Amino acid sequence: MQVKIDTRPLLIVILSRWWRFPVFLLLGYAIHYGYGQKPPEGLSLEGYRALLVFLTCLILWVTRLLPLAVTGLFAMVAPPLLGVMPAKEAFAFFGSEPVFFIMGVFILATALLKSGLSTRLALHLLKSGSKSPKRLVLHIMLASALLSFVMSEHAVAAMMFPLIVIISKRLNLSPQGSSYGRILFLAMAWGCVIGGIATMLGGARVALAVGLLQEAKGGTITFAQWTVAMLPLVLVLFVFCYFLLTRFFSIDIETVEEADSAIQSQIRDLGRPVMEEQFLGLLMIAAIFSWVFFGMQFGMASISILAVVLLFMFRVVEWKDLQEKMEWGVILMYGGAIAISSILNSTGAGLWFTKQFVLPHLNSTWMLMLALSLLSILLAEAMSPSAVVAIVVPIGMSVAKQFGLDPKVVVYAVASASGLAYALPMSTPPVALAYSSGYLRMKEVILPASLMALVSWLTLLLTARFWWPVLGIHVGG
Amino acid sequence: MTNIALLKLQLLYYGIRADRDLPSPLTNPFGLVHLVLPEGLAVSVHLNENGTDSPFLLRREGTAFFLDVAGKESIPVQWTPPLHSYQQKTSSRVSVSEILTVHGDFIAVHPSHACRFGQSGLSCRYCGSSQDISLHPPFTPRDLVEAIQIVEQEKRCDVVCLSSGHVETADGGIERLEKWVSEIRKHLNVLIALDLVPPETNDWIDRTYAMGVDALYYDSDFFNPNDESGGEPRAIFQKHKARQLEALEYAARIFPTGAVLSHLVIGFEPLAETRASIDLLIDRGVVPVLAYFPPYDGSDLRSRWTATPEAAQEIYAHLYERLVRTRINPHWVQQYDVVLTCLEGRFLSNESPRYHLKLKNFYETRFGRALRFGMARLRRHLRVREVPA
Repeated sequence: MQVKIDTRPLLIVILSRWWRFPVFLLLGYAIHYGYGQKPPEGLSLEGYRALLVFLTCLILWVTRLLPLAVTGLFAMVAPPLLGVMPAKEAFAFFGSEPVFFIMGVFILATALLKSGLSTRLALHLLKSGSKSPKRLVLHIMLASALLSFVMSEHAVAAMMFPLIVIISKRLNLSPQGSSYGRILFLAMAWGCVIGGIATMLGGARVALAVGLLQEAKGGTITFAQWTVAMLPLVLVLFVFCYFLLTRFFSIDIETVEEADSAIQSQIRDLGRPVMEEQFLGLLMIAAIFSWVFFGMQFGMASISILAVVLLFMFRVVEWKDLQEKMEWGVILMYGGAIAISSILNSTGAGLWFTKQFVLPHLNSTWMLMLALSLLSILLAEAMSPSAVVAIVVPIGMSVAKQFGLDPKVVVYAVASASGLAYALPMSTPPVALAYSSGYLRMKEVILPASLMALVSWLTLLLTARFWWPVLGIHVGG
Repeated sequence: MTNIALLKLQLLYYGIRADRDLPSPLTNPFGLVHLVLPEGLAVSVHLNENGTDSPFLLRREGTAFFLDVAGKESIPVQWTPPLHSYQQKTSSRVSVSEILTVHGDFIAVHPSHACRFGQSGLSCRYCGSSQDISLHPPFTPRDLVEAIQIVEQEKRCDVVCLSSGHVETADGGIERLEKWVSEIRKHLNVLIALDLVPPETNDWIDRTYAMGVDALYYDSDFFNPNDESGGEPRAIFQKHKARQLEALEYAARIFPTGAVLSHLVIGFEPLAETRASIDLLIDRGVVPVLAYFPPYDGSDLRSRWTATPEAAQEIYAHLYERLVRTRINPHWVQQYDVVLTCLEGRFLSNESPRYHLKLKNFYETRFGRALRFGMARLRRHLRVREVPA
């Protein structure tokens, strides 16, 4: 880190540093004021206060006034403080199965990164891509997407990013003017985004949405069910993305042979796979196999935590590696999100809200599907996908209940759509990392990203219309 | 009646003679007598050991003290006894007087024992010593903190000024002083000033402010007596001067207004040059501190000294008039007893000090001091940011 002195006028500095305090004061006053009011007709006092907590968290998640994890903690302590439910019940939400599933998945991803296995896989996927510029783009997309099937997409992006930087430097791609440099970083970012929706491991949002479903007694979705439901969407988006990147941006380079030597040199530096890598590879295959075939029987979390125990038994990772590299905050956020969703459900606040504000504007389940997916895609451009899930899924499930729609449809629609953010750096970590390379300008990305978002939305609707019914998931008439 | 500002200059120039019936010890360990002139002007003046040359005689009548001016006029003054603190020692047995020098509410420290002025053979009134300073025992940041705490028990101290001495490193001596600054920050509630050589790059200036330094001195030596010689020395001098001005100008944007200062030694160059340097500095938001350090009577350098008090007063008036017309705060140099401060120049001019004098007086109150310290901390808290390298 480097020290810089902010020399702007002091008033501007104060506003830029302290604007949060007046906003917090205002929010605190609003909660205090709301707390003293009578609940609207048809809503219980607990339900009214639960709605108050939900709205506060909504503001905090959207504005990021507090880190997402801290808002999650607030969501757990606010219900007992406002008398919505006893503290014991509120804190019990932290012990729900999806939280432990995600914890296990994150630990496995950290182990993949730390052992170098993910880098080795990525380099081997990239190796044969240096025959032509277009092929390199395809291989970068493929490596990013395939690895995002088994690791969270931000971990994949963090691992791929330095490799793409090395390749860009070796190809002498200038951050200012190289169109091909832009393509490579977008291929990485969008590859991760598309791959991230394929399984429950690509983004923690799916597990969160499934957790919300379970808490609302709406059943569950297995690893295999999710993956099969998303298959056409992933394939179509992958192909479209490849054509969009290679057609929309000009390929201002004739050969990428230099990239080959860079990749070969990286592979040489890695040396032979060590025993930890081999063990981890086998463990991942076994874990995925178990999630697919025994997920329902033993529980997703049990399998992921068992895999973690095995990791430690064979000393593939040390605890200090996890302390440094794990996104522990996300786990806290999930506990809070599940707590909020549950209190909205148990107090009837979600139902009341949807009756008052949502249902009058919707007249069919397809309208609901259209609205939820579009809203999720739009929100995901400005918010963390998990925050979108935490906000939209509880409301969506309440509406679905009114229409007699299976709440799983809401989970499929929102959890997939909230992962499809392509344009803005604040959307997902892969996109943010791509921007940090210096190769991307927002004005150059916004049009192809909007096209990707539009095609993603339409493909999701088509998948829901034609593919999901084959799997027994019906959106309705 | 004698002009008070002129009187201060004359006292710094001529020193005083002491009457027989005066308290003992009369001077501090560095041979200086602390007096407060009418209008509250503090001055530390040397005893003219040659006896007859000084026109000023300090005498006592009961509990009152007077300065007789050439036997014609008698001016009431206050004599401040030398600090007892100077005689005390830190826990590692280093004398306070070997660590620091107190000038009003300003403490001067040379951690490196390398005072440029003292090493040149001249007696340095600023750090209170001459070449002997290099003979002082080494002391640690902990000793310095203890020494300041000892002094604070006896009198109020607002600013501690640490000098890097002469260094030729890219950082201008900042790195060496960092541990001293952090130790003072950790234990004491004072403002910290550093007297440094301009660093080679401006990021060192950012770092200086961020580490907890409130004010900065880059001493100016803009007049080059060999300027007409041309050739390589001149080119080096010009390059050095350009960098010095650039560093000062940048620092003035980083530090609070008035907290970037530069000593200009008056008397060894034509007064027109000094005047030009004043303008040069003020135009860049820097406060010139005109150090009036005439070589003591009897030294070889006395004859080279061109700035008699009468001649120098016009320069001090110019400094005051230029400064009060700007928004630069001159209060960083206050209660400074070895130079005539910018605001003390008001006695040599008809120009109104505007709000500057009121502000200075306010900052000397208990509340003003607390506000000044608090604002300095708050400003740093707001302005310093850590960004990825």
